Amino acid sequence: MGSLKVMIVDDSTFSIAVLKNMLVKSGLDVVATALTMGDAIEQAKGNTFDLITMDMTLPDGDGIECSREILKHVKDAKILAISSMMDEEIIKKAKDVGIKAYLQKPVNQNELNASIQRLFEGDELYKILTDNYEEAFKESIFSFLKREIGGEIVIEDNPINSTATRKSSGISVTIGIIGRHNGRCIIDMSDDTSLNMTRKILQDEDQSIDNAIAFLSEFTNVVAGNACSLLNGLNQSFGLRVSPPTVFRGNDITISIGDILSKSYKIKTNLGEVFMNAGFQKVGNEWH
Amino acid sequence: MALKMIKPFIDAVTDVLPQLGFECVTQNGLTTKRKKIVASGVVITLGIVGDKKGNVVYSTSKEGAKKIASIMMMGMPVEELDDMAKSALSELSNMLTANAGINFSNEGITVDISVPTLMYGEDIELSMNKDEIICAEFDVDGIKLEISVALD
Repeated sequence: MGSLKVMIVDDSTFSIAVLKNMLVKSGLDVVATALTMGDAIEQAKGNTFDLITMDMTLPDGDGIECSREILKHVKDAKILAISSMMDEEIIKKAKDVGIKAYLQKPVNQNELNASIQRLFEGDELYKILTDNYEEAFKESIFSFLKREIGGEIVIEDNPINSTATRKSSGISVTIGIIGRHNGRCIIDMSDDTSLNMTRKILQDEDQSIDNAIAFLSEFTNVVAGNACSLLNGLNQSFGLRVSPPTVFRGNDITISIGDILSKSYKIKTNLGEVFMNAGFQKVGNEWH
Repeated sequence: MALKMIKPFIDAVTDVLPQLGFECVTQNGLTTKRKKIVASGVVITLGIVGDKKGNVVYSTSKEGAKKIASIMMMGMPVEELDDMAKSALSELSNMLTANAGINFSNEGITVDISVPTLMYGEDIELSMNKDEIICAEFDVDGIKLEISVALD
């Protein structure tokens, strides 16, 4: 975590010196210090800090007020309160204003390390997820289709903009993904493609649309489940689990897919085309 | 048993909606449906896992959805089901389901919820992977809102 830049806000030069030592030991880079609320706000406006430590008593205000002002200008600022005062009322105030964690002085090195790790763990995990989920879902759907349908399987990216909607081809299945960060997987195909695939897999030409729905439901379940297992294998902390599928069928369904960070794919098979969308939404760090 | 599954959602609707500016929330019916549901308008689904596993689906007409979005946005007129309106509806489904989750946890049942998926259209056939689905119908300031729960 050597690249994380920190500003220490504290009215005591002694406390600043102590905290600076500890933060450096935690592997952080202390690039600024402020003794007053005014100075802290000015510096926060003009610089980018990965973390700000905040004392609760400042000569020209308090840590709550100071944090509120900073968060007005820097919405995603990570503020860690470090103060000798710590009671339920002030913790609640800190939480309400948007402070991410609270430590009481004197702080020990282990506590500080653990707190910093928790603060940044969510970000790191989210990055691993965003770097890897596309491959996981592509690999998962590819191996299922290759194994069950065979023939040539081509996966193409299907770029969508952030406000996209998509017209369903006929049957759409969504599966919710729940874990450290939450998400969703949608697989969509026409009645015909779904029936074709069901016939092929069951080796029986006589298939009803209900069988096709049951197939698509299970297909989506396996694709999403396998992809989540691959991701969980990268880091146990994801703890991704899938909810049961919900199937939507109709001639005129529009799916809203632009609401979370997601990627869409067009998968071409000998039995028809499949559309897949998968994505995740960042869940904030829990308060400790 | 069925009632136990939907009660936390019913309580969520009657608790949360008045806080968002809706004046009159009444529950009209409670029915059990087999497997398939047909809905027209806007449907939002969320996945649930934990001590209970399944899905919840919120549905209302397109006009109803616009009215709900408008009330949620402090009476701002909503002519089209645009991104803002869709976002408001997704957020509503999030709030209701999260609130139902809290109601479950008060009974010692822990559940987590996924992000919502919003769809709209006519005559949408819905299958929820469970034979029995419990539906509660609400009248919210004259708008019909239906909640279908399939939980195991």
